[in-house]
Amino acid sequence: MIDPLQAAFSIAASGMSANSARLRVTSENIANAQSTGQTPGADPYRRKTISFENAMDEVSGADVVKVSSIGTDPTPFNLQLDPGNPAADSKGFVKIPNVNLLMEMGDMREANRSYEANLQVIKQSNALLSMTIGLLKG
Amino acid sequence: MEPIYLLSLASRKSGWLAARQATVASNISNVNTPGYRAKDLAAFSEVLNKTQMSLASTNVGHITPDNPDAVDEAKSATGNWEVTETGNSVGLEEELMKANTISGDYELTTNIVKSFHTMLMSVVKE
Repeated sequence: MIDPLQAAFSIAASGMSANSARLRVTSENIANAQSTGQTPGADPYRRKTISFENAMDEVSGADVVKVSSIGTDPTPFNLQLDPGNPAADSKGFVKIPNVNLLMEMGDMREANRSYEANLQVIKQSNALLSMTIGLLKG
Repeated sequence: MEPIYLLSLASRKSGWLAARQATVASNISNVNTPGYRAKDLAAFSEVLNKTQMSLASTNVGHITPDNPDAVDEAKSATGNWEVTETGNSVGLEEELMKANTISGDYELTTNIVKSFHTMLMSVVKE
């Protein structure tokens, strides 16, 4: 078991890296919101999902967070009538990715907020540490 | 000697606060983990009362008092502000408020130590 304040730093850092991974997945989804297939009737980009899990860090004995899996969203694709598209099938329908921009925006904000909270923990732990060091100044 | 007692009390309080900061950090970093339950330490007064010499038990039949190392023991917090659909019971605002309280208490403790140290030094220097 290392010093609890050091543990707080590593825990908050794990939270920050988990949330930046989440932000990465969200940005991939947003960037590919219009990525259709290349050949007629081909599947377009499938929305990615990310999930977190609680893990025990052996070195510090702390309850850190890590990314458990990056999966795909199984919801069906939307169809859009666009006969001119190279990915259109025989009836002229194109499969559009199952990305909902509103949902991605919400996810992004939440990731942002969690990242900020973890940053706040680091700031506060740092303040505690400097108070202890301040004792030496007499 | 009494003053030493106060210094050790302050150091134990700051150790407890640092441990609490670590639990707050793990609560905050797990704010989006499904099924995670928020944790908190036992209150400092409880920990202080529990910490004492305890008899070693060499037989299962021996009666032991409550676990003396309560500092390491994180209990799940009761009376949480919110429990989400995924079974996560961390309230971000609650945790940030706790972190603020910890910061204030830590400042108080270190300032007490500092002023006590000044007093001791003034005695030594005279």
